[in-house]
Amino acid sequence: MTDLRETSATSLAEQKERALIAWLRDRGSVLLGFSGGVDSAYLACLATEALGPDRVLAVIGRSASYPEEQWRTARDVAARFGLTVAEIDTDEMTDPRYVANPSNRCYFCKTELWSKLAPLARDRGLETIIDGTNADDIGGHRPGMQAAREQGVRSPLVEVGMTKRDVRERSRARGLPTWSQPSAPCLSSRLQYGLSVTAERLREVERAERALRDLGIGGDLRVRHHGDLARVELSPEMLSLWLSPIPLRMITAAIRAAGFARVAIDLRGFRSGSLNLLTEVTAA
Amino acid sequence: MNVENLERALAEIGLHGIVEVRGSLAVLRMDVDAGLADDELRFLAVDAAERNGFTHLALEVVDDAGRAALHRD
Repeated sequence: MTDLRETSATSLAEQKERALIAWLRDRGSVLLGFSGGVDSAYLACLATEALGPDRVLAVIGRSASYPEEQWRTARDVAARFGLTVAEIDTDEMTDPRYVANPSNRCYFCKTELWSKLAPLARDRGLETIIDGTNADDIGGHRPGMQAAREQGVRSPLVEVGMTKRDVRERSRARGLPTWSQPSAPCLSSRLQYGLSVTAERLREVERAERALRDLGIGGDLRVRHHGDLARVELSPEMLSLWLSPIPLRMITAAIRAAGFARVAIDLRGFRSGSLNLLTEVTAA
Repeated sequence: MNVENLERALAEIGLHGIVEVRGSLAVLRMDVDAGLADDELRFLAVDAAERNGFTHLALEVVDDAGRAALHRD
């Protein structure tokens, strides 16, 4: 029974992938915002296969909020799958509206990114700008998507109904190393709203999360920055392993070494959009 | 949100500590092994926090340096 269900799900994902290939071919050429995450890596590889490397440009927007490890993954995927890649620096850290870290912070970041990619697409003669938003991303508090729509960015994974599960399934089938990679939104998403975004705070988060990975903690993991306090979210199955006294001390020591004065472990564990709940942000 | 009720509810399940309120985040500060590796106890603690209006409950184990600050008059 389980096998039948899995076969059926795989078949559905394959159908959606065929629709996605047709969608891409209809566009002719695309410029993709490429982070090296699960969704954009899959989309970059599929677009390159469907259209050829001369008709696809995968652009990495680099700033202090973009994790170094993510950049390495993006470059690795690009090298292994023959993607055409460009890198640009984005300047959201000089925008006081972004630095103030309001609940619609992502709107200012994405506006900066897409406003730089639109002229690049025109210069290169690429017809459509796309991103890796998937069908699961619709709904919730997503001000970054509003910025994308305002700049005419299309989301083909959404348009053909591909969910995160579909993307992981097809990525695995295609041998992409990103298929099992945890979701990795930008580092600014770890800062409590209202706490200003600084390069030092972003580095503290990055160091802390890397230190926890180095301890051997797998699965979804976030270090939420609450000023002097780091609140660690682990996947529920990791909580029972790491809340024993000795592992707990190891976590505390690792986070303090990364620059935080205080460390607390969230007892419910990882929740996507956890900081939205904390400040009672509702869908716009 | 009611911090006194939360502290009382947590004490009833064996979690004796001080709760620090940061918006709807409750930080439970304890100076002993809380036993929260146990799934059932953790569920009860989170449930107590939510019943008292908090969206998040986090455990901070306080070491020697922070221990003095734990004891309220």
